[in-house]
Amino acid sequence: MLINTARGSLAAFALLAITGTAFADVTVYTAGPASLIEKLAAGFTEETGIKVEFFQATTGQVMARIEAEAANPVVDVLISASWDTATDFAERGWLVPYTSPNAANVPDFLKSETAVAQGVSALAIAWNPNSKTPKPSEWADLAKPEYKDLVNLPDPAQSGATFELVAALEAQGGTKLFEDLAANGAIVAGANAEALNPVLQGAKAAVFGAVDYISFNGKDKGESIEVIFPASGTVIAPRPAMILNWSKNQDDAKKFIDYMLSDAGQAIVAATNLMPARTDVAANRPLIGDLNILTIDTEAVYAGREATLAAFAEIFQ
Amino acid sequence: MSATRTQPVNPAVLIAAFGLVIVVAVPFAFIVLQAIFPELGRGSLAAPFSRILDVLVDPRLIRMTGNTVLLGVGVVILSSLIAVPLAVLRALFRVPGALLWDVLMLVPFMIPPYIATLGWIMALQPRGYAEQLFGFNLAPFLFSIWGIIFVMTLNTFPVIYFAVSRTVEAVGSRYADVGRVFGASAWRSFWRITLPLSTPGLAASMLLVFAMAIEEYGTPAALGRRAGFDVLVTGIDLRVSAGPSARRGAPLLSRVRGVMCFGAFLSRRGILPRRSYQITTGKPQKLEKRALGRWTVPVVLAFVVVSFLATAVPLLAILATALSRTISGGLTLSNLGLVNFAAILADGPGALKALTTSLSLGVAAALFTGLLGALSAYAVVKTSMRGRGLLDVLTILPNALPGIVVAVGLILAWNQPWLPVTPYNTALILLLAYCCILLPQPVRYATAAFHQVGDNLEAVARVFGAGPMVAFQRVLLPLILPSLLASMLLVFAVATRELVASIIVAPVGLQTISTYIWRQFEQGSVGLGMAMAFVTILITTLLPLIVLSLLGKRGSLL
Repeated sequence: MLINTARGSLAAFALLAITGTAFADVTVYTAGPASLIEKLAAGFTEETGIKVEFFQATTGQVMARIEAEAANPVVDVLISASWDTATDFAERGWLVPYTSPNAANVPDFLKSETAVAQGVSALAIAWNPNSKTPKPSEWADLAKPEYKDLVNLPDPAQSGATFELVAALEAQGGTKLFEDLAANGAIVAGANAEALNPVLQGAKAAVFGAVDYISFNGKDKGESIEVIFPASGTVIAPRPAMILNWSKNQDDAKKFIDYMLSDAGQAIVAATNLMPARTDVAANRPLIGDLNILTIDTEAVYAGREATLAAFAEIFQ
Repeated sequence: MSATRTQPVNPAVLIAAFGLVIVVAVPFAFIVLQAIFPELGRGSLAAPFSRILDVLVDPRLIRMTGNTVLLGVGVVILSSLIAVPLAVLRALFRVPGALLWDVLMLVPFMIPPYIATLGWIMALQPRGYAEQLFGFNLAPFLFSIWGIIFVMTLNTFPVIYFAVSRTVEAVGSRYADVGRVFGASAWRSFWRITLPLSTPGLAASMLLVFAMAIEEYGTPAALGRRAGFDVLVTGIDLRVSAGPSARRGAPLLSRVRGVMCFGAFLSRRGILPRRSYQITTGKPQKLEKRALGRWTVPVVLAFVVVSFLATAVPLLAILATALSRTISGGLTLSNLGLVNFAAILADGPGALKALTTSLSLGVAAALFTGLLGALSAYAVVKTSMRGRGLLDVLTILPNALPGIVVAVGLILAWNQPWLPVTPYNTALILLLAYCCILLPQPVRYATAAFHQVGDNLEAVARVFGAGPMVAFQRVLLPLILPSLLASMLLVFAVATRELVASIIVAPVGLQTISTYIWRQFEQGSVGLGMAMAFVTILITTLLPLIVLSLLGKRGSLL
């Protein structure tokens, strides 16, 4: 009986699986928020009639999948959360050069021959006003005694943007800031979302280097959280979109990039509280021009990544 | 080849071997190949061995290995301390409300460990639910090795509880009564007769708990990193997600863990075969349980405390989060409501599709691994085939591989351009992944059960003219069915919530329950994720209960 049931259910399941396979016109792999790609895909299909299937995960998981699939890849468009990916893939020669007509208003540092930003996030201090602590305005404030044992940092080994923030701040003033933070009881708490959650409940008062759009979204839902961009500067994480050269649907993929950079597409980006890549699109939050952006020497910083991370881990041990 | 001349190959063994090759050997072969040829994903055999040599020296490796062993052993010891006494009491005595306790012990199984951990964090961290309600927090305890062992034990002890209570029940009091007749005290006959005869179930379930403990990612990642307590799994994940330059260490780390699993497995093989545990001999036996007498109150109290900690606390924390409009609002009346549940309903298609996908995958995985597990265990325990040792190794192999490595192996194997048809990019690849990861569970349970079934029973069936398949289906399978069903339930529970492999191999556009919840967390919608988790726990607990009571098997499982 058991055997027959198993056979029957497997056959039914196989049927289900095969009929359920959609052959999309464009396949997008994205490390961005799920709600963003859902809305972009729906809007794109409505406007052009071209179907979109997407796979959404963290940057690391997306890369692991692309590497494992390399013998027979299916991805047409990749949207990463780290500009590093765009540089790396361009060096490997995996990208199709394309400049969308809609990219005219995207500033030069957010586009290259083979990639263009979808949107931009920045790192900030996410602070809970109910935490009975004074409102911080600078990174260094969080090393003060008022915030003893009340600060979380996302792990730079898990978050590319946090790593760049650490590198940029260390380039400014050495490792002293982080030593002070560690001495003040700040802890390194997993990836971005994991670091924010204890601040919302009140176990901690602030995240040092929170991803801004997640905190803005929480604030929109009524969470008690404020996003503070220190005047001394912060880093931004542009999210590059690129077309892979093995894509058999390159024309449709280009149309997808065009849509992503259109007025409608950028409005969807702005609605998820990311900064739009186009400077002429409004958003209900501080934009790139409002921030003091710290620049890093990407090549040197990434060459020293292992050493920076090891030193950082040493400080917070 | 003399054996095959005198005895035709048993079809059960052939099916088992074929299934194991597809489910385990193929992805494993590709993982090994990729470790040797790092460019394999690109269809190239360039630069062999370049990565293996790179990673052999890592000072952190030793510390992580030590931590992993410590964690596994700690969880096994604490789980046994909690589960074995309760299971023995449940099996040999009439415990008031026995069925209720069984159901309550089933729930921790169904709570995904990362959800339970988050529930504990939200309950015990400073200004958590415990502090909001009762004014205390236990953060120093929770974020320590003891906290990790505590939380993981509450998640895994049901494995031992169900295995031991079933085995002891099967042993019954009959053999112990013989001891009593010959003058042994009740304690003595328990220690010397009942407990030793239950060793297969106990050993199998302890091995499973050890494997689950050193495999679990969410709990050590959430609690341990703050305490500076790194284990191999968190090390593997860091490397896999860190980018190409750091990724090369991952295969080595998983291999170290694999060695540990094999060690535990071999030590179990060392314990078992020396003696006979055959207690199911075909003689009818009365199932008679004793009264607890004056011990009734303390025993019931023990069940209450354990199910409160393992079931009530995490469930209440999950529910509290799911009912909160905002996390920062805390547990005030104005902040509570059904907003998150309403949001799930509003996202009907997405949430419902994720639920159906995961539930059907869970059922399919349970049936498939149950069947394959029973056949493989039969081939290993009850036949004298050549190569059955190899089959045995194949069944334990998945325990040595973390989900993310299995996922990568499956993609490498099934995404080759020359394959005419492939399960890749269909839901079937998820089924293959779940079967590979979870196969050890039914195999271990079925192996333990087969060890207790007398050889005579099959022989009798064969004497009366039954072929090997008929004897398996009509005589042996029904005898091991209670154990097998328990393990299939476990497979169902774990498959419906598997996260790591699901994220990597899921076909584009397909969501499972776990990826759905994970995405909510990633976007900071903790309440929404918890609401979905709560609904899932209810369904995954109720569904097997309903199915089993419809089948009329409730008595044998619960």
